[in-house]
Formats: sequence, structure tokens, C-alpha cells
Amino acid sequence: MNENTSNRKTLSMTLLGVGTILLIAALYMDFSKNYIRLGSFELRGAFLVLGALCVLAGIYFIPTILHHRAIINCIFLFPLLFTFAVTVIIPMFVGFFYSFTDWNGVTFTKMVGFENYAAMFKEPAFIWSLLLTVLFVIVNMILVNLVAFLLALLCTTKLKGVGFFRAAYFLPNLIGGIVLGYIWQFIFSNVLTKILNSPHSALATTKTAFIAIIVVYVWQYAGYIMLIYINGLATVPKDVLEAAQIDGASDIATLFKIKIPMIAATFTICTFLTLTSAFKQFDVNLALTNGGGTVRGFMGKRLSNGTQMIALNIYNTAFARDQYGYAQAKAILFFIILACVSLLQVRISNKREVEM
Amino acid sequence: MKKYLAIFLVLTMFVALLPTAAFADGIRLFNGKIEIAEPLNHAAKAYEEATGKHVEVESLGGGVDLQATLKQYYQAGNMPEIFVFEGAPDLANWTGMVVDMSDQAWAADTDAGFVDESGALVGFPYTTEAIGLAYNKSILEKAGVDPKSITGPESMKAAFEAIDAKKDELGITAVIGYCANATELYWSTGQHLFGQYLDAGLERDDTTYFDLLMQGKLDQERFTKFAEMVDLFNHYSDPALLVSGNYDMQVSGFAAGKYAFVTQGSWIGSSLTNQYKDQYAAAGNFECGYVPYAFIEGIDTILTNAPSHWAVYKDGNVAEAEEFLNWLAGPDGQQIMVQEAGCVSPFKSCTVVANDPFAAPVSEFAAAGKTSAWHWMGQPSNLAQDFTGAIFQDFAMGTEDVQSFVEAMTDIIADNIK
Repeated sequence: MNENTSNRKTLSMTLLGVGTILLIAALYMDFSKNYIRLGSFELRGAFLVLGALCVLAGIYFIPTILHHRAIINCIFLFPLLFTFAVTVIIPMFVGFFYSFTDWNGVTFTKMVGFENYAAMFKEPAFIWSLLLTVLFVIVNMILVNLVAFLLALLCTTKLKGVGFFRAAYFLPNLIGGIVLGYIWQFIFSNVLTKILNSPHSALATTKTAFIAIIVVYVWQYAGYIMLIYINGLATVPKDVLEAAQIDGASDIATLFKIKIPMIAATFTICTFLTLTSAFKQFDVNLALTNGGGTVRGFMGKRLSNGTQMIALNIYNTAFARDQYGYAQAKAILFFIILACVSLLQVRISNKREVEM
Repeated sequence: MKKYLAIFLVLTMFVALLPTAAFADGIRLFNGKIEIAEPLNHAAKAYEEATGKHVEVESLGGGVDLQATLKQYYQAGNMPEIFVFEGAPDLANWTGMVVDMSDQAWAADTDAGFVDESGALVGFPYTTEAIGLAYNKSILEKAGVDPKSITGPESMKAAFEAIDAKKDELGITAVIGYCANATELYWSTGQHLFGQYLDAGLERDDTTYFDLLMQGKLDQERFTKFAEMVDLFNHYSDPALLVSGNYDMQVSGFAAGKYAFVTQGSWIGSSLTNQYKDQYAAAGNFECGYVPYAFIEGIDTILTNAPSHWAVYKDGNVAEAEEFLNWLAGPDGQQIMVQEAGCVSPFKSCTVVANDPFAAPVSEFAAAGKTSAWHWMGQPSNLAQDFTGAIFQDFAMGTEDVQSFVEAMTDIIADNIK
């Protein structure tokens, strides 16, 4: 090792040096827009990748026995950490920064401090969206889980053609939300108006439109949750069920005393899934009503966004009103709410679980 | 040393494999009107044949948020040389990033170019569109109604009544195809129809009611008259279309001769002759025309304007972009734009007339100087989608009457424009 040490040191230093120079050159080209070209090839990307590889190799050859293993671990972790940082961590901080500016998607002229955060609580339309979303989440969490669990029970009985029913209930989930929204829009506007002989579609008034969104959402999502419940029910040990049968437990008693407690973990997963996805509801909302619906006299104002959930509200603030900074502030609030609710929910549900 | 050699070889291999940014020659045009994608591609090809310079046409539309897409391109350093924008609110995103084109040859040939606040000519007009109350000439003739007689609210009402009385005889579903579905057609009610309140009957540079709007106010007298006309539309429209219909239903219905009038502008002309040509042929390829939205006696103009403009991006290949636009404004370019894309040329020197049912009536109004501008394009971009569209729908549903409609609109505009 001794003989190699000085060699390794030179190599390591050279690689680190070359790598750093290449990286700096690439970054300089990026900012100054003076691209060096080799024929028609632009060398910026090549410099960047080559530089990064040299630096990594340099780190690998650092002459140390003590930390060698740690260095190798870090190098192997690097791709994952780098990707995570680029796609999640850095954008989050950038987004956080933008929420304090008047960014319009292209440029920003000034920092506005907490103005964006203060403004959203004075905007009746946003408060309405927030409350509506909470209501939507509560209703959906109950309805989706109820429907899904009942369907799961149905699909685990020894009925004929159970496979077909399973597939049929799951199918709506395979259709994208936007397509589904337009299909149901047709049903509400053209089919149901003819059948019920009503002059206007259910989507035209706020209350009925809200119910319509719930119906479509449950129809779409219950099949998916059903699959998870079926999976959960399949894990209930047969011997326990058999023992219950021998002891003469009724079907109802078996369900409430054995099956449900045994699959408490599944309930946790399913409530968590429905909770977060209902909170983030966007595509069906966009395609079905686009947030429309009149609300009279909410906080002394007349609103036109009667069925607009919070995600759609944020989207419209950014893209229809060009207030990207303000929308970003709303998104941060949304993120905080979602994180808190999810953590709380998982904590509560975990206490109920049965160890197998 | 072998190991190092191996590493070196691997590294060089990487370099050789690296994808490099493509350096396509020529320029890119970001078109926001998907209907004319094909003709534009053809124009680009013809241009390449004539000059050897390549133009890449990228067409988006049909619900795609154009400005949001452009912003993504900007963030990614991928801005097209020429891009579309609608009115001042869109342009505000790109302040200081677009080229003043007042020195261009085409600039003297049109007055439909977009001039920004500082007086710079930043928008190239590629077409002209018109908004009036479109009618089916053959139905009006059969009903014995002279479109020229519609000059004010009373005569409009009389005409509607006369047609309504002969509805079965004429084989039509309703007098007018008016749709106030706020989700689908907020732009038709909240922008185009509302634009009549702002501009109908005014000189092109008259911004009286637009200025008032931007202060958050509505002229009560004028707006009430306007509301009465909308009330008339609500009453005589097809109930199946009025609240729960959509754009396709409205335009195909007019093409099939189900409605005597329709509240859509000249862009439906190409739908009549292409998309719905079977229905249109079955209805006898009837002639079309315009009457002004005469909600006050004496209003005699229709609203014409370039619906959107093309701007040239400052940091792109400006010289080639300007060259292409000049070619497009010239005879060869206009030949394609007018005959294939069905555009009404905004250029005075252009002699080609489109084969479009609405081309002739629009030119007629333009020649007589009976046109007003589209100042609604300057209203906040979300006003119709988020607010006023919904109130038109409530009005159509009957949850508002004329008076409460006027009040609701007054309130919502006061609340949302500062």
C-alpha cells in the first residue's frame, strides 16, 4: 500500500482538479451562453458529465483506508440523492422562495414578504375552496371506504363470476380522470337531463354539481380501494375463520369481531390513500365542472367558483391569473395542511392495529 | 496502469455517446390556432422552397394553456423565435423581450398590428375575425324577415317573434343558437358577447366603456339595454343548448340549419365548410350574413380584430423571423393564408378573397367602415372564466332576471377589478 499511496494521491488530486475545472467551465458556459463547440457538437454537456465523473473518480482514489468504505457508500448513494435533490428538495426550496415574490412565471420584480400569505386569507374564493375541499375529503373518505369495503366483501364470497365483477369494479380506475370527467359530463348534461326531463344539467348548480363530483370520484376510486381490501381479506388466516365457524359465530360476528380487527392495517392504508388523493383532487374537478357554480353571499361576496377544489384554485391562480408567486404561497399552505393531516391520521390509525 | 487505461477508455466512450443539443437551423413558430396548423405547415414548406430557410411550425390549441406552455419554454431556455399572444394581459408577461417591428415592410400595409403602451409595433396580425349576430340567409328569406330591418331592440324582437311563429313551418329547432354554459363557453358569453357592451356601435379607438370597466364600473343604462338583449336570447334559444350544451352542438346545429341565428363569430365559417360539411350540405349550403348586436337603436357595427398576434422574441434569430413574417404578409404567403387557412387578410394590398361563408359579409362591413374593435381583449384574462361567465349562465337558467343580472355583474366587476 505504501508504494501506491503517493501514486494514488497524485491521481486523486489530478482527477479532482480536472473534474472541478471541467465543471466550472460547463457552468460558466451555461451562464455566459458562450458555448464552445467541436464541429457541430456542443461541449457543455460533455464537460459537465465528464467533470462529474472525474470528481467522483478522484474521490474514489483518495488514499485512505479508514474512510474508504464510507466513501464508496456515498458514491453508490450519490445517483439517488442527486436525483432526489434535483427533483424534490431543490424545487421545494425554490418554490418556497418564489412564494415571497411577485413572480409571474417569467420574471419577478420585487420581494413581497408575507403579503401573499396574508392575501389568501382575505380572499373569499380561496377560503371557500379550502372549506369545500375539507368537506369533500370527509365525505369521500367515508363513502369510498364504505363502498369499497362492501364491494370487497361481495367479491370475496363464493359468487359465480366474481372475477368478472372484480375487473368490472376496477375498470373505472384505469380510465384517466380527464376522460372520465368528459364522459360523465356527457352523462349529466345529455343523458340524465333526458331521463329526468329536467331543463338543466346537474352540473349547472353548485350543490348538485358538488354531488356529481362526489359520485364520479367514488365511482372511479372505489374499485381501486376494493382491490386493497380484497387483498387484506385474503390475508386473514383460514384457521381463525374455521375456529370461529366451529364455535358457531354468525357471519356478522365473524365480520366485526375477526375480519375487521384483523385487517386494521389495510384500513389505515386505505383511509390514508383516500384522504390524500381526495385532498389533491384535480382532474375530475377540472373536466367535469372546471370549478364553476355560483355561491351567493359567502363572506359578503358573490362567488363563481362554487365547485372549485383547492388544487384547481391553485392551478387557476397561477395559469389563468398569472399570479405564480401567489399560487406558490397557496401551494405551500396546501402542502403544510396535507403533511399535518397525513401524519396525524397515520398516528391515530397505527394505535388501532393488531399484531399478527 | 492497465486499470487506469480501462477507466480512461470508459470515460472517452461516455464522451462519444453524449447527446449534444440539436442545432436545428432556421426558426420556430409557436402557433396558438390549431385550426390553421396544416396550412401553416404548407406555408413554411413553400417558404423553404423559395428561400431555402427552414421554419418549424409548432401548433397548439384546443384547451392548451398557451402562455403557460410558453413560460415553460422560457424556463427551459427553449423559446421559439415567433410566438402567439392575446392582447395586453398576455403581452405583459413578455415586457422587454419582444422586438419592435415598426420598421418592417408589412407595417405600412395594415393597421391591425398590435401596438404596445410605449408605441412599439410588437404584434404581427395573421388574420382578422369578426363577431356579429350571424344569421342563416335562407331561413330569414323563407320567414320573410329582412336582416337589414334589424336596427335596434324592437326590430330585433319583431324579427325573432316572426321567425318563432313560423318555427314548425321552417323546420328549425329554435330562433337562435345561444349557449351560456359557463364551463364550456365562458369565452363566448363573458368575452365575445360582453365585448358587444364594450364596443358595439363605437369608433375603433373609442374606449369609453372599456375604461369604465377597468375602473370596476358598468354604465348602468347601456348595460341594462344589453341585458335586455341577452334576455331575448335566453328566451328564444334552444333549451337543450342554452345551459347544458357545448360549442360543437351550437355550431353543428347552426350548420344543419336548426337555428336562424347563432352567437358565434366568423371562425365558425371554416367549421361549416370542413368539419360539418355534410350537415351544411344537407341544409343547402345556405348563405350567411351578419346583423349587428343592436341592443340600442342605431348600433350598426360588428366587432372585427386580429384575435391574437405573433411577437418576435428578442434573443432568438430575429432577422430570419422578420424575413419570414414579411414573406407571409406578401402575395405568396397571403395566397396560402387566405385560401387554405381561410383567414380574412388584415393586409390592404391583399386581393385574395377566402372561400368562406363569412368572408363576404365581413368584407362588406369592413368596406363600409362599420366595424368596432375588440377591447374586451384588454380585460383581466381570468374575468370571464372565473366570474362573468357564471353569471351569464345563471341568467340563462332563470335564477337571475334582467335587473338582478345587471346588479350581479356590477357587483362582481366592482369586486374583481381594481
